[in-house]
Amino acid sequence: MQYYDTAWFGILVTFTLVFFITFNIRRSEKSSGNLFVRRIPGLNAIDEAIGRATEMGRPVLMVPGIGTLNAISVQAMNIFARVTQTAAKFGTPIRICIADAAVYTVGQEIIKDVYQREGQIERYDMDSVQFVSDRQFAFAAGVSGIIQREQCAATFFLGEFYAEALIFAESANAIGAIQVAGSTQVTQTPFFVAACDYVLIGDEFYAASAYLNRQPILVGSLIGQDWCKMLFYGFILFGILNLSVGRLMSVTERRDEKGEMVKLEKPEKMKNSDTFVHRMFNPDPYPADKEIERPQKPAEEAAAAGGGQ
Amino acid sequence: MTLASFWAHPSGSSQLITWLIIGLVAGIGLFFGIMNAPTRARRAIIGGFTFLAAFFYILLFAWPRPANVKPTDLPKDGVETVGFFLQDATTAFKDFGTIIPAFLLGLGVYSLLRVHLGKLVKKQRDWQFSVVLLVSLVSMATFGYWSWYIERFAEPQKDWADTATWGIAHKGRDFLFDGLLQQMDAAMFSIIAFFILSAAYRAFRIRSVEATIMLSIALIMMLNTMGIMQFWSNQLWDGIGNEFLKNLKLDEIANWLKNNMQVPSLRALEFGVAIGALAMAVRIWLNLEKSGVGS
Repeated sequence: MQYYDTAWFGILVTFTLVFFITFNIRRSEKSSGNLFVRRIPGLNAIDEAIGRATEMGRPVLMVPGIGTLNAISVQAMNIFARVTQTAAKFGTPIRICIADAAVYTVGQEIIKDVYQREGQIERYDMDSVQFVSDRQFAFAAGVSGIIQREQCAATFFLGEFYAEALIFAESANAIGAIQVAGSTQVTQTPFFVAACDYVLIGDEFYAASAYLNRQPILVGSLIGQDWCKMLFYGFILFGILNLSVGRLMSVTERRDEKGEMVKLEKPEKMKNSDTFVHRMFNPDPYPADKEIERPQKPAEEAAAAGGGQ
Repeated sequence: MTLASFWAHPSGSSQLITWLIIGLVAGIGLFFGIMNAPTRARRAIIGGFTFLAAFFYILLFAWPRPANVKPTDLPKDGVETVGFFLQDATTAFKDFGTIIPAFLLGLGVYSLLRVHLGKLVKKQRDWQFSVVLLVSLVSMATFGYWSWYIERFAEPQKDWADTATWGIAHKGRDFLFDGLLQQMDAAMFSIIAFFILSAAYRAFRIRSVEATIMLSIALIMMLNTMGIMQFWSNQLWDGIGNEFLKNLKLDEIANWLKNNMQVPSLRALEFGVAIGALAMAVRIWLNLEKSGVGS
């Protein structure tokens, strides 16, 4: 066993991050969200892309990735709501291709709501939000076909993309569409950088709605994220120092495979696994063979126990 | 009934059936309630459910997990009672997450049918593609369910892994799924190789300082994957004999770039993305996330 059970540490850090975010949302609400957000070229290009599509009389295509209904696809739909708002003003047709049925229903509601708010409900086309397929490459083929057939003038690929990212980006590039892309999958970001005009990198994707709308809640949340990053800078600095000093020190005992402390024959240099930081983030699991005395279920209930513990 | 046994009633027991009926009635009631509620109330109901569902997972994350539990164990104190309850409920919550999107798939199919039947009826441009899609959709579903019905209900005793037992249903499904769909998936995937080439060509054209740096690093990485280049590089720097200059070996440079440039950059991006996702999740949880358009 180790000296301290450090499993609480991850929970404490997570709740601290949540506190930073909620505290700043509250703070920003009081200051009406009038806080500085740096320029993001990919988001400034939205109006330019829609303007171009309007001039050419071609549709704007949007794809929120192939993920299920989660924070990423909701964020993508939030950005698309903003794109649709501008497109609705100019009467530019839109196409939203979706690979997940749950995202499809949410997307349809959001887009209809946008047209309603803009007083352009007569321009809303139910088929503009389209479920294509939930199979990755069938979806890729379907969207590429729509890009080619409809000659989309502007494309927005924002969300959770995998191998199909480059198929979309290159298909759109082949017809000369202006492209704004961003993926939360860091492995796909280089492909977008290589093939698209503007790319949202990393957390710029999550900063997008705050940048576009300047709602106090969203701006406050963004500042909370910056506080969280500062906390991580502190952890990284502490980790570097701790590891650097720790690796110069020696140990006289070390845990074996079972997690028990064993005396060493002679002092040895610390390994990464001996350092305080490693122990902090990797607490020993509770010994699997240790019996805990608990009351038992009645015999007939224990025999019929269906699932659960 | 204790709190801990709420999710773990024995199979076929009267309590389980009672709770199933209560759940069904409550579900149907809730469904019609939401359908008939005014928009403002509907948002409040959905917000409330979102809060509760997320709160469950927060509790699951933060609450001490009972260690070394056996199927016959009962909780020994209040903390463990809640822990048992949360652990037992996890399976049920995951099932909710699987069942609800399964219902929504019907809406997805409805969207497909609406778009493509509309194209077909109005004879819009490229309507022929819509015919192919509709025929594929119907035939795949027909053969899929037909073979499933035979395996499950008509002749469950047969060894269906043996292709000699297959009839039209299984052969049709195999042809459509393995013979066509999988092959077309593979074809789409392999197209990426050509797209990478064209994208790389555009990205690597030397137009700026950044593109030049990217090209240089890509060149080092690509050369490092060629055995002959590694061999020559090792021969060259080993031949000089200076220990410091051995750091200039091709694989040393490539590994240094990978470990000290690529990995930290990717981790920094991942930190940013993770914090962004957390902030988004908190906003959704607390019902602070609106449609994103602004007021």
